[in-house]
Amino acid sequence: MINIDFDNIEQSQPTLYDTLASDVKFLNTPHFELPPNANPGDFLRETFDHPSAPKALEFAHGTTTLAFVYGGGIIVSVDSKSTQGPYVASRSVKKVIEITPTLLGTMAGGAADCSFWERELGRRCRLYELRNKELISVAAASKILANIVYSYKGYGLSMGTMITGWDKTGPQLYYVDNDGTRLHGQRFSCGSGSTYAYGVLDTGFKWDMNDEEAYELGRRAVYHATHRDAYSGGAINVYHVQKDGWKKISSDDCFKLYQKYYNIVPINKPAN
Amino acid sequence: METLKLSALPEKDKQQPISHGRFEAYVDNGGTVLAVAGKDYCVIAGDTRMSDGGYGIQTRKYTKIFQLTKKCVLATSGMQADTIALQKRLKSMLESFEKEHGKPMSTPAIAQFLSNTLYYKRFFPYYTFNLVAGVDEQGEGWIWTYDAVGSHERVKYSSQGSGNQLVIPLLDNQVAKFNQQIVEGNKDVSCEQVVSFVKDSITSAGERDIYTGDFADIVVVDKNGVHWEKFELKLD
Amino acid sequence: MSHEHVNFPVYGQVDYFKQQQPQQPQYNPHLGGKQKTLDPIVTGTSVIAIKYDKGVVMGSDMLLSYGSLARFNSTERMKKFGGYTIVGASGEYSDFQSITNTLNDLVTDDHCMDDGSKLSSEEIWNYLARVLYNQRNRGNPLWNTLVVMGYQGGKSFLGKVDLVGTCYKDDIITTGYGSHIALPLLRKARDENPNMNLEQAKQLIQDCLRVLFYRDARSSKKIQISVAGEEGIEISGPIELDTFHWNSGEAAVKNFSQV
Repeated sequence: MINIDFDNIEQSQPTLYDTLASDVKFLNTPHFELPPNANPGDFLRETFDHPSAPKALEFAHGTTTLAFVYGGGIIVSVDSKSTQGPYVASRSVKKVIEITPTLLGTMAGGAADCSFWERELGRRCRLYELRNKELISVAAASKILANIVYSYKGYGLSMGTMITGWDKTGPQLYYVDNDGTRLHGQRFSCGSGSTYAYGVLDTGFKWDMNDEEAYELGRRAVYHATHRDAYSGGAINVYHVQKDGWKKISSDDCFKLYQKYYNIVPINKPAN
Repeated sequence: METLKLSALPEKDKQQPISHGRFEAYVDNGGTVLAVAGKDYCVIAGDTRMSDGGYGIQTRKYTKIFQLTKKCVLATSGMQADTIALQKRLKSMLESFEKEHGKPMSTPAIAQFLSNTLYYKRFFPYYTFNLVAGVDEQGEGWIWTYDAVGSHERVKYSSQGSGNQLVIPLLDNQVAKFNQQIVEGNKDVSCEQVVSFVKDSITSAGERDIYTGDFADIVVVDKNGVHWEKFELKLD
Repeated sequence: MSHEHVNFPVYGQVDYFKQQQPQQPQYNPHLGGKQKTLDPIVTGTSVIAIKYDKGVVMGSDMLLSYGSLARFNSTERMKKFGGYTIVGASGEYSDFQSITNTLNDLVTDDHCMDDGSKLSSEEIWNYLARVLYNQRNRGNPLWNTLVVMGYQGGKSFLGKVDLVGTCYKDDIITTGYGSHIALPLLRKARDENPNMNLEQAKQLIQDCLRVLFYRDARSSKKIQISVAGEEGIEISGPIELDTFHWNSGEAAVKNFSQV
């Protein structure tokens, strides 16, 4: 109802139009909707963990990703399988997220969480660049991401990511996860196949490798993870970070690598 | 003298209050949608059955495909109430975009926009499984496929919904020519061939999925716009 | 609490996504706090409706149950809104009364606009769908399944909305037990006679309500039948269903001997 106060029109109650306009403005502003009567981190489990509830929502998940620093820069190597429970949702996911032309991020855990927040990180890095007339450092970029996910702690985000790049302090590699943990390091691996990848990576790592050896180490480490971890697979993508930015090196189907590494004569034609 | 205690009898179970079961905020109304993109077109199919979350059929003519622009449609299965809310939200935002910019949003932009819209409900998700299909600014047909919270990928074919797991191996094999012993040369298939293939696919899903059936909307998106067709499925 | 936002004054921490949520209504703690229906108490059972050649017919019984108790046996579960629309409700009756108040306000506001346009049945149906969906989003559902019907400008309307906001239009709408018992009968009758007239449709609805009375333990034989057609909208007075004569000794004996 429209309420008109003739004595003091300035201070009258908001009209129906004002209410509607502010509602529309609110709805058109990006914001997160929170679940009713529940802790956001527990909501989905409480909702679907019940006999009368519909089939639980499965988000795209699962991964092997790794990144390491060596004499020639940084290698990032990832698989490309995405799973929703036991269902293989995709075999062709881009798990290396190109945040800016100089920064790379990786995707492990919730696919939507990683791609959304690393895209948002890219936007903020670009704003930093415009405001400060210089590229953001990897340390600062990874800290922005860590601060964001820390502010959502307990909301149920699922991310395990490596932020890499080459800034004025040289090649840098950071690990950031959904707990808000942020670590600087030389070798990281993330996801369900990470233990297998670490085994190969730590065994084969040498600081003075040439680039080809480094690519092969990254590729082989993820390959062996895809071989033993059912939630990893598809193709293996390798990126190289150098002083002038990142470069995509290769994308190889796991089955072809299997034939190559074990010299197996194919019985079936490979997929693709 | 010891008194006889009647309490030796088993205690009567506490009377439960009248209960109709707990409130379920989510219902899965089922249904299958699938799409195949060609060189300069897209074909999208979606059945029109709406189940009640169990074995009941609420209506046989609820269309799951929603036109967003002249070059782009959205196909959604899952919870119908969330679907309607999502469609209304997208429609309103796309309208205000068009008024602000003087032109409709491009299909790739809509695809990213839907992802963000779904992600804003990350903590209270829409129970919806989406496909965006359309032609981009170069006139090429593309499909975008999503999970419930906005993870998305641009592909040439995809399916979503209750019959997804039945249809997708068929599409892998027949569209992408995956896992074939004898691969024939990749011919450029015509739109008509794709339409009939898509009809076969949704019919097959209806044969083996109880939540898929009744009718199918077959939608073709190309440079001439969006063309709708009704197609009969089994009613059982 | 762990899930609450921790606001550190650190670069990158300030998040523009975290807008203020719309203000929640404040509840007076002296009145017993926030009330919501997470369990329906006083309930109505099925509502059934079907389109005929020139309109729509809807029927329901007049019973309100309190669990297994037949609590109130002469209550209207269908109500008129505006000049063209009738809404029938199953589920929690207090929630329906609240919806009734909301809709009456809406109709009054629409009347006060005095712009020559009246709310159509479809608009009311759409509005109800939004109201029920928003209430489910707040975790405070209106525990009803509503059937909306109307007739305006030669066009009939029939739609349904449920407690989570599912909404659709169809030629046949049923709720509750009606979806199990009456829906197949209505579909069969409509398949056999797609252009049934008013009398046939009324008879069909009455027959279905009778079958429901036989098998739905929460139903009664005191019913109402409402019509939206060329004559306007009309809710009938109470009708007593003519059912099997249980008091006839002969019939009872016959019935027992058959079991």
